[in-house]
Amino acid sequence: MNPDLLNVESLSVNFETVDRTVEILKDVSLRMEKGEVVGIVGESGSGKTTLALAIVGVLDVPPARIVKGTIHFDGRKIFPAEERGTNFRGKGINMIFQEPLTSLNPVYSVHDQLEEAINTENPSTPNKEKEEIIRRSLKEVMIRDVEGVLNAYPHQLSGGMRQRVSIAMVLIQKPQLLILDEPTTGLDLIVQRKIISLIMNLKKEISSSILLITHDLAVSASMCDRVYVMYAGRVVENGEMKEVLQKPLHPYTAMLKNSVPEGFLNSGPLKVSSGSPPDIRSPPPGCAFHPRCSRAMEICRIKVPELKKQNGDREVACWLYE
Amino acid sequence: MNDNILEVENLTVQFKVKTKIFQRARSTEKTKKVLDSISFRIKQGETFGIVGETGSGKTTLARTLVGIYRPKGCKIRINGKDIDFRKREDVLLLRKNIGIVFQDPVGSLNPRLTVYDIILEGLPNAKKLSKQEIKEKITEAANLVELPESKLESYPAELSGGEKQRVSLARTIVGGKEIILLDEPTSSLDVSIQAQILNLLIKLKQELSISYIFITHDLNVIKYMCDRVSVLYYGQILEEGDTFELFEHPRHPYTAELIRANFSFSSTETYSATHESGEPSREGCIYKNSCPSRFSPCDQVPPSFLVNNVSVKCWLYDQAKIKSERS
Repeated sequence: MNPDLLNVESLSVNFETVDRTVEILKDVSLRMEKGEVVGIVGESGSGKTTLALAIVGVLDVPPARIVKGTIHFDGRKIFPAEERGTNFRGKGINMIFQEPLTSLNPVYSVHDQLEEAINTENPSTPNKEKEEIIRRSLKEVMIRDVEGVLNAYPHQLSGGMRQRVSIAMVLIQKPQLLILDEPTTGLDLIVQRKIISLIMNLKKEISSSILLITHDLAVSASMCDRVYVMYAGRVVENGEMKEVLQKPLHPYTAMLKNSVPEGFLNSGPLKVSSGSPPDIRSPPPGCAFHPRCSRAMEICRIKVPELKKQNGDREVACWLYE
Repeated sequence: MNDNILEVENLTVQFKVKTKIFQRARSTEKTKKVLDSISFRIKQGETFGIVGETGSGKTTLARTLVGIYRPKGCKIRINGKDIDFRKREDVLLLRKNIGIVFQDPVGSLNPRLTVYDIILEGLPNAKKLSKQEIKEKITEAANLVELPESKLESYPAELSGGEKQRVSLARTIVGGKEIILLDEPTSSLDVSIQAQILNLLIKLKQELSISYIFITHDLNVIKYMCDRVSVLYYGQILEEGDTFELFEHPRHPYTAELIRANFSFSSTETYSATHESGEPSREGCIYKNSCPSRFSPCDQVPPSFLVNNVSVKCWLYDQAKIKSERS
């Protein structure tokens, strides 16, 4: 069996301020094998990004506090860290953010930022080789005007171009695990498709695994092997992407799927229930989805369902399947 | 009889472009056409979709239709009456008939007014009505958009994104507007909330027999909501027609590319970029630089050809040329 590349076990994260504590993640477990593309799908406030930040190890500063859980990466324990200064970022785990304008440094040109990516790994690379690597990486992300982009600053580039530059940076470092946090939200449709097919092609090339965070089930359907559906800080369902789409078990997954309009006007109203995602500062007791769930029972209001194995690799947290 | 509720002919909007940052825009400087002779008609009770990517001019079109921009030399006819942007009463007439819901609910609701007062803003001649009548109208509008009455005393900051869009909608329907312009009304919302709003819009349309102009970049939403669709690309309508026909048989290469790139559960084939997209062309067909099926006539601007009630701005559908080439 393939050893797990990433293994997050019952991770709980709180945001603690002076007057209150908010539970952002509750008992979240996630595992990924080498070469897999795994999606995390959920609406705003479900804790997707917090999970990603915890994995890259930038979360555990106040007000955030990881109260419980462990994270293993490539056989090493990265949280709680066994030894100080274990560096797994860059070659190990790398992340592409939703808004490249905030993740690129505005006062350095693209060239200098790409050079920095090389310097963090191999500062001793000869200059001539560095230039070659930089130019090659930009060509690989299908930028035609390489010289123009190299001398440009992030604000001079379009959204799609900026995202390509951040992908180029990742390419240089060739990480084992690439985390994409809403990489194409806010981009035009055709550009989105191009960026995604670019990422998928590069995946083959640098043989990394991808963790895709998105609110869009349709986008993740086009990329992922497996998917985790999150709601109000918990994983409510996970399994093979195709199976989850074909037969969603959790009522929330079903609702997410039904929310994306598929047909024409005559296909009838979209099957969604009223209400909105809960306020995580005061989540409802029991299953967080019960106020919106059409199949809610008495027990859903009282007790939180646990994630239980169904047939095969499927897991679902819902009292309907007890 | 003329059953078009809104007619727009040859709408061109251009902006002056500053070439240097610290220079004032002068009339002698370059202008950029954001909308280039757009024409369309909307029938009573119809949902007309406008789909386009960033920079296509969607929002400019919306703003022009509510009189924020007032271009010269276009013909806008509402209920058969010509609108002259130079006359104040004409602009007011336009606004009386067309309501607008913006993409960003935070920016479009006054943070210092209660929901009640915000909806009141949309009520014309409120001064002539008694307090009781006003209250009735506002509660009725709130009920129509399924906004709980308890929220009427809240401020926008206390509402969720979906509720804010409901308030925006209530503000337009309270004044009995005939056309509601929806400028990306659901783009900033979560998918399940988006679905709720879409259901609500369909319900309102049936109950109040209003027309929508639905502007969005989301093809799934357009396909689901609209009777007719037009595809906007850098200020030009490249294809326009019945939604079903347009989605099942996209004719313009750009429309075809958009539909191919769209994410949906039913499309299982993997997308691969077949060609590089280029900048919009200044000469000839505007899509020339990105078009995979470009051929010699494309150096001239194509007129709109009518195929199966879909008008396509592409030389591929020039019947006369096709015939002459065959013979």
